[in-house]
Amino acid sequence: MMTGTFLLLAGASLALGLGAGAVIHRADYCLAGMFRDLFLFRRADKLRTLVLLVVTTMLLFEAARLLGLLPNYPFPLFYAPSAANVIGGLLFGVGMVLAGGCVVGTLYRMGAGSLLSAVAFIGLIVGSAGYAEIFPFWSAFIKQTTFFPGKITLPQLIGVEPTLPVLLLAAAGGALVLRWRRQGAFRRVTAVAGDLQPWKAALLLAFISLLSAVVVGLPLGVTSSYAKIAGWIEQLVSPAHVADSSFFKAVPLHYRHPLTGVDLAGGSGPRFDAIAAIQFPLVAGIVCGSAISALLLGEWHLHRNIPRRQLASALIGGVAMGFASRMAPTCNVWHILGGLPILALSSLLFLVGMLPGAWMGGLLLTRLVLPRSAPSGGLARP
Amino acid sequence: MKTIDYDIRGQICPSTLLTALREINYHQEALHDGVVRLHFLTDNRDCVTTIPESARNMGYAAEVSREQGCYLIEVRGG
Repeated sequence: MMTGTFLLLAGASLALGLGAGAVIHRADYCLAGMFRDLFLFRRADKLRTLVLLVVTTMLLFEAARLLGLLPNYPFPLFYAPSAANVIGGLLFGVGMVLAGGCVVGTLYRMGAGSLLSAVAFIGLIVGSAGYAEIFPFWSAFIKQTTFFPGKITLPQLIGVEPTLPVLLLAAAGGALVLRWRRQGAFRRVTAVAGDLQPWKAALLLAFISLLSAVVVGLPLGVTSSYAKIAGWIEQLVSPAHVADSSFFKAVPLHYRHPLTGVDLAGGSGPRFDAIAAIQFPLVAGIVCGSAISALLLGEWHLHRNIPRRQLASALIGGVAMGFASRMAPTCNVWHILGGLPILALSSLLFLVGMLPGAWMGGLLLTRLVLPRSAPSGGLARP
Repeated sequence: MKTIDYDIRGQICPSTLLTALREINYHQEALHDGVVRLHFLTDNRDCVTTIPESARNMGYAAEVSREQGCYLIEVRGG
């Protein structure tokens, strides 16, 4: 039964990853870029579609909960809010801008042949390994700064069933979405091949999130797999250190699979468990889905002539994201696509931190990484 | 008319757009006078939308064509 459940988890995650990778590549649906461009260029066109995504997911999750399809609601691995959510979100925001994409953006760009994103991916693994060293201290900090213990979501905090606050917020968000639609703000005019309009990508990703919640039992998440890779690599160098590490020994995920009823467990340690069965196929799916999409368009490229400063930025950004995604805990995809729709307090705080983080990342990127002098020396010809 | 080529493939986001905007601003007089046109070769799908849109908003003409699986964006005086 356990093997069958693991195969179900792996197969579903791979399929969802393939779909998500292709959708995100076709729409270039970069979550990091949405927040970065709000501050750098005062552009909010894609960010508006993120509101559509969250509102749609909110309604889908609530409908699924009322139908009894989400027995683990609110999902495992969401905790009571703490200061760590804001601090982790802030560092994550800086990191995702410096890396040129978030934890999923890194995957889909890497799938399409981006060397910079491959460097950011290495940074994510290094950052995850680094966090393992401060895990005992940070765990104590989380405990000390947790407020509203036992309250994971806003409805729990105010003591009501989720339906009313979800409907009220979805109505407010829906009114905004309708207004933007009337203004034509969702229509992107582009000459890019195989384009998927961002609003369509938002709706498709909302359904992919729902499928993940119903079939896997968890929202989309990838960053624990980065920590696992870090653990496996570190184990080759210093197995005793990994064996002693309280971070790698911890098993925070415990839940009953909604479809098979099998009890599952998992953690960030280098072992095959439920997290490995879910996240590795999801990661592989996103990379391959994007790669297939790029190949079908004849747009798969590997470019090597990248400025060193940009490579350094991608590495540093990746390290910061890897570190922050464990501090927060977890990443923007988990919080925005999984946490905000259930009004998780930790996700709201993560967003509070990530916004100024994206602004700071934009400042660092434009002042320290990108050349400012003009012109950059284009090749002139008569 | 002189053509200036920029190969900005494989760059970190949003370097592609920032480079294009910077070069358009630097060459604004020559662009308006019809002396020069700028060619940006990019593989960044988002910039295939944002560079022409920004250029047009600044009063220039912009056209996109595909070249070896990448995109060539031409900006010239409007």
